[in-house]
Amino acid sequence: MIAIHDLVKTFGDFTAVDRVSLEARAGEIHGFLGPNGAGKTTTIRIIAGLLKPTAGRVVVNGHDLATDPEAAKASLGFIPDRPFIYEKLTAGEFLRFHAGLYGIDGAGVGTRVGQMLELFELTEWEQELVEAFSHGMKQRLVMCAAFLHRPQAVLVDEPMVGLDPRGARLIKNVFRKMAERGVAILMSTHTLEVAQEMCDRISIIVQGKIIARGTVDELRQLAGGPGRDDAQLTQVFLKLTGGSGLQEIDGIV
Amino acid sequence: MVPFPYLLLPSFWSSRNRVRRRERGDALRLTLFGSVGLAVMTALFAGSFWVTLQLDQYAELGDFLLRLALSWLFLTLLSFLAFSGVVTALSTFFLSDDLRLLLAAPIEKGRLFHARFLRTLGQSSWMVVIFLVPVLTGVGVARCAPAGFYITAGLTVLPFAVIPVALGSGITLALVNIFPARRARDILLLMSLLFAASIILLLRYIQPERLLRVESLPDVTAFFTTLQSPITPLLPSFWAGETLFASLQGGYDLLHGAALWTTALGLTVLLRVANDRWYFTGYSRAQEARKTSFTRLAVLERLARLLPLSVVRRTLLVKDLKVFLRDVTQWSQLLLLCALVLVYLYNFRVLDLDRVPYMRGVIRNVYAFLNLGLAGLVMATVCVRFVFPAVSAEGAAYWIIRTAPIELRDFLWSKFWTGLIPVFVLTESLTVAGNELLGIDPFLKVVTAVAIVFMSFALVGLAAGLGARYPRFGADNPTQVAGSYGGVTFMLVAVFYVLVSIVLLGWPSSVYLLSRVRDVPLSAGQQVLMGGCFLTGIVLSLATWWLSMRSGVRALEEMDRTPS
Repeated sequence: MIAIHDLVKTFGDFTAVDRVSLEARAGEIHGFLGPNGAGKTTTIRIIAGLLKPTAGRVVVNGHDLATDPEAAKASLGFIPDRPFIYEKLTAGEFLRFHAGLYGIDGAGVGTRVGQMLELFELTEWEQELVEAFSHGMKQRLVMCAAFLHRPQAVLVDEPMVGLDPRGARLIKNVFRKMAERGVAILMSTHTLEVAQEMCDRISIIVQGKIIARGTVDELRQLAGGPGRDDAQLTQVFLKLTGGSGLQEIDGIV
Repeated sequence: MVPFPYLLLPSFWSSRNRVRRRERGDALRLTLFGSVGLAVMTALFAGSFWVTLQLDQYAELGDFLLRLALSWLFLTLLSFLAFSGVVTALSTFFLSDDLRLLLAAPIEKGRLFHARFLRTLGQSSWMVVIFLVPVLTGVGVARCAPAGFYITAGLTVLPFAVIPVALGSGITLALVNIFPARRARDILLLMSLLFAASIILLLRYIQPERLLRVESLPDVTAFFTTLQSPITPLLPSFWAGETLFASLQGGYDLLHGAALWTTALGLTVLLRVANDRWYFTGYSRAQEARKTSFTRLAVLERLARLLPLSVVRRTLLVKDLKVFLRDVTQWSQLLLLCALVLVYLYNFRVLDLDRVPYMRGVIRNVYAFLNLGLAGLVMATVCVRFVFPAVSAEGAAYWIIRTAPIELRDFLWSKFWTGLIPVFVLTESLTVAGNELLGIDPFLKVVTAVAIVFMSFALVGLAAGLGARYPRFGADNPTQVAGSYGGVTFMLVAVFYVLVSIVLLGWPSSVYLLSRVRDVPLSAGQQVLMGGCFLTGIVLSLATWWLSMRSGVRALEEMDRTPS
């Protein structure tokens, strides 16, 4: 389970995250949506332990990130939007290194690494340096690392960036399977079709504040009931976040 | 169509924005770098002024030597500029990120070439220009040169820089068309370091100290004769030296000046033609290069398992070693270090301690502390280049460490131990070998050997701690990190620490040795003071080590932004 309570993050005078609270329960895929600059990535980075919050609490599987960071991080898998990894390690070495950071050692590591590489279709690249990988391959390698230690909660920032349709389908299947096994997944995304297809609940953040939360149907109700165009989440999202901004296109392009 | 200077605007704007941006510690940074820069410029000016004045006393021989010195100065700079041009051109023409934007835009290739060549020229020659300004001013002031000398200097340095940079860029163009760009970069880097190392060894092999001895004067003449080879008049360095020397005497050497300008322009035109023909093919190849060969280093993991380390620390150690040994930009610096070590030991071997026979013993023991001081400075230099950038070397991948369930204390201490062992082994070997070559008193051998242990802990701790306090995760290479504000701060603190340590060890040691030579027992007061000095030295070292590491760990824990 991932829970945040009254999270605040300010940068000088600017408040990027303003008293945000949300919870991704065990077995739930929770979507985290919002326009650019709304505070999604800042929130995600705070939960991952990359940014210090100005105020508020982050709890991962019952462990407070501020007071018990090692335990909280040990049960969390994090997938950032940009897959920066050590270019001079091979895929296999990187995963073994990652396992070591999580205290996993011994004969089982090789088998687990092999399983993850096979799952994400990287087996033939195990002995190659990461510097030779494409963006999508690096993204899949980061996912291997995130799931390697069997986390009870997964935090994902833009999961589909750089993935081809086959990779995207694979990720969706993996996330569903994990959720079925009780893993809590908090996922920020711009791809509304992905959110609509996968998420049990969605939180929408605008200007650092959560403005709506619920299932897709509940969000439709919040947006003023099912309209003619509201079959897709896109229309609901645009209504909730302040209009489409598409009115004047004809005169410009 | 946009003119080519337009393409340089982003670099100009970036520099302007960097200057405008105000950050905490700007004033201190400016004062630090400004003072160091000013001191170096003043030293260069004073050095060239003094040498020119000395040469002035020897009339025609002095003039001859000055011409030779100018020619050799430019020859050294010529080779430096050529190598710098090769390496810079690889980045500006082939690996720079903004090329994707520029090559996709409707820019005529000639304009792109001119913009990139100008950028290459600026990046590879600014250091030479900054070096030449005080040196040539020193020469000019010492010889009371007319204003024409300074104008000629400007008009000479520009084509002089263009020639090797154009040649270097041409070599890069050829290399990239033969090898993949990343492999070419590694080869070039290795070549430039081997070149630097061989220059250091060659300079030492020439034994410039011989020039200071009257008895070796016939040898000196022979030495200068060998420097004058038939090929010298064909080199741009010779043309630059001759042009400047003529203007120093109030005249003009139009022949050599014209040779410089026509060669510079001719090479630029040739390079542009070659560029039109082969640039895009080379750039295209630079995008390819998939799988590369590398060393597996599996033995490292097996060896690390033998060490009594926790899984986390062992994992961090193996990762750091593998990344270091597979990155040419990292391990190749060791070549330079080896050359410096050889020169260092050779210097002690050729020291003439018998020139003042009755002072021989005293001089030996003074040299022991000089050796310790130098070892301390070598240690500081190695630390700033290898230990200080250790945290920054994580780069954008630092998120992996930050999100892992490990204590940042473990992470920083792993960096400390990884740095401590090689630094200690290197400097302790240097000190022990140096002291053996000097044949110093056994008491001092023990004192200096123990001092190195404490100094290693203090300086490696200081480097790791300050490296964590002032990380530069966005830096392109470790040299950039070492030259940052934190790196300069480390060097200043380290030099101060080494000097204080020498004083704290030198005084009590000299009191002890003097009492032994005079056969007078030490008074109780002297013994207390000696003990106090040694103790203060130990406390200073331990405090520097411990407080730096603690401050580094705290800085990592409090770091607000993590790159990802």
